[in-house]
Amino acid sequence: MTSAADAAPAIELAGLRKAFTKGRETTVAVDHLDLVVRRGEVFGLLGPNGAGKTTTVEICEGLTAPDAGEVRILGRSWRDGDDGAIRARIGVCLQETRFHEHATVREVLALFRVSFERGRSVDEAMALVSLEEKADARQKSLSGGQRQRLAVAAALVGDPELLFLDEPTTGLDPQSRRQLWQVVRDFRAGGGTVLLTTHYMDEAEQLCDRVAVVDRGRVIALDTPAGLIRSLGAEHFVTADVVADSGVAPTEAELRALPDVAAAAFDTAPGSVRLTLTVRSVHRALPALLTLLEQRGLVLGGLSTRHATLEDVFVHLTGRQLREGGAA
Amino acid sequence: MRWRVVRAVTRTAFLEFWRSPAAVFWTYGFPLGMAFVLGFAFQPAALPPVPVAVIASPGAEHYATMLRRSARLDVEVLDEADADRALARGRVALSLHVQDGAPVLRSDPTRPEAELARLLVERAMIDASPQAASIAPVRHEVEDRPGARYIDFLVPGLIGLNLLGAGMYGVGFNLVQMRTQNLLRRLFVTPMRRSEFIAGYLLGRSVLVLPEALVIVLFGTLLWGVPLRGSVLALLSIVVVGGLCFSGIGVLCASRARTIETISGLINAVMLPMWILGGTFFANENLEGPTRWAAEAMPLTHVNRALRTVMLEPCGLLDVLLPLGGFAALGGLCFWLALRMFRWQ
Repeated sequence: MTSAADAAPAIELAGLRKAFTKGRETTVAVDHLDLVVRRGEVFGLLGPNGAGKTTTVEICEGLTAPDAGEVRILGRSWRDGDDGAIRARIGVCLQETRFHEHATVREVLALFRVSFERGRSVDEAMALVSLEEKADARQKSLSGGQRQRLAVAAALVGDPELLFLDEPTTGLDPQSRRQLWQVVRDFRAGGGTVLLTTHYMDEAEQLCDRVAVVDRGRVIALDTPAGLIRSLGAEHFVTADVVADSGVAPTEAELRALPDVAAAAFDTAPGSVRLTLTVRSVHRALPALLTLLEQRGLVLGGLSTRHATLEDVFVHLTGRQLREGGAA
Repeated sequence: MRWRVVRAVTRTAFLEFWRSPAAVFWTYGFPLGMAFVLGFAFQPAALPPVPVAVIASPGAEHYATMLRRSARLDVEVLDEADADRALARGRVALSLHVQDGAPVLRSDPTRPEAELARLLVERAMIDASPQAASIAPVRHEVEDRPGARYIDFLVPGLIGLNLLGAGMYGVGFNLVQMRTQNLLRRLFVTPMRRSEFIAGYLLGRSVLVLPEALVIVLFGTLLWGVPLRGSVLALLSIVVVGGLCFSGIGVLCASRARTIETISGLINAVMLPMWILGGTFFANENLEGPTRWAAEAMPLTHVNRALRTVMLEPCGLLDVLLPLGGFAALGGLCFWLALRMFRWQ
């Protein structure tokens, strides 16, 4: 028989609020945030540094108490008084943890395994993150990528149903990042749920079934990565750099009148003008643009096309770049 | 409390210490080095002479000759200005000048060496007097019997001091370091309980106090002939329970400290008064007033006293049951408070 708690979503957050006060200054990190993470999905929290992602995750992990709002993890609340029952079912990889530097990989995992009543063996956990060869290597001899994989293995050794990964690939080289992505995919394929925070849009696009874009402590958009990109109204960008004063520049209205163009923007730099078109189909918009530029006698200095990304979604929603500091 | 979890934490804490060369050196090498240096420094030996000045004047040479007969005095004849300067700077402990044919001694009685110099000068004058022959000569023997020397007093004190250091630095400091590295936070989000973690960590660090104390005892015995007259079981009990008591204080200090600076300050605040007044380097029974009360309130005083009792006297476990009970109660209280106050992050 399935209990109500077993059927509940992996994470339910309602009206979540958390503010931090330092001296006379109060910063609202999470501002009435609502969220539901379904079982079996990889859910991404995407936002710039300071957007409230880590605070939200730490509230979910029971590390931080919210000022207001409801938190239910796997159908249970941290206020129910049986925190151990939740901890036995979750795995956590914090943004940064330094294990004992003289401990071996095997010893670190044994320590993290011992308090779980059920879970994976240490050897299985090492195999999940391909660290078998480093089983007897001490912490201090591991590379950054290996340490991060060990941190993920320590989160997986209790065989969790729900895995929290807080910016797991920050600072890693591309190969280490791909290895960790595969670990996440394998975990999801086994039926696990993941809440992932990242400020890498490619990571969110690659891994996440759904993404919540968070800014200033609020969810400002929530959909699949493809759905979020589609919400821009067009999925491609065409950028043309034309030499200044080489002809008569088209107006915005003229550019928007081209086939499949959803939006147009101008950006003037010394000696050139950049035209950026948001287009629904490149193969229809691009020839029309080139024809227009030729008719106006404009000399083309550069031309590029690219797919829209979650970064574009964020810029579209907030007017700011994802990696701008101090976004909230 | 699940013992398999406690055992795992104990093992981790022990291995982390054992594999760290710096920690092993400061735990074993430093106290041994200190025992070695202090043992040599305080060997029974002839005491150095006490410097005194005789101010040049008619009759001064008579007194200078009289004082030079004492092997314990180092006599210089100086003019008045030089003698005053030497006295002010502590280069001489006392000055003698002749006034109306009689000797006048000048010294600062708050300086311990001044009182010794005065007694030695007066003794030299008595020895030179005609009545000296009628006083029965006093024979002096150097106390160098094992059990009564300074090194015999010092070695138990060094064990006590080491137990204190192991509890405060080995347990307290390292816990805060783990907190600053997010390791405690990470353990918090597992089903590990506070009691399991603290008990395991305390045991893992405290298990080392036994070999640590034994090394100092062996060193003292083999090199200086420091006796072990009481029960070995009583000695081991004091080391283990005393060590756990200091570890409890260490855990309590570390239970809420968030930064290395805070725990360093707390450790210094706890350790420094005990270094000075805890009866390691000198007997604190001779202190008076509030200083004595403070010394009596310090656990190190009682650990040192109990260690000296079992090492220097033929005592058994029953003779130290009371202090053992006290150490256990204090350690237990600290552990209980730490459990309630402990924060993972």
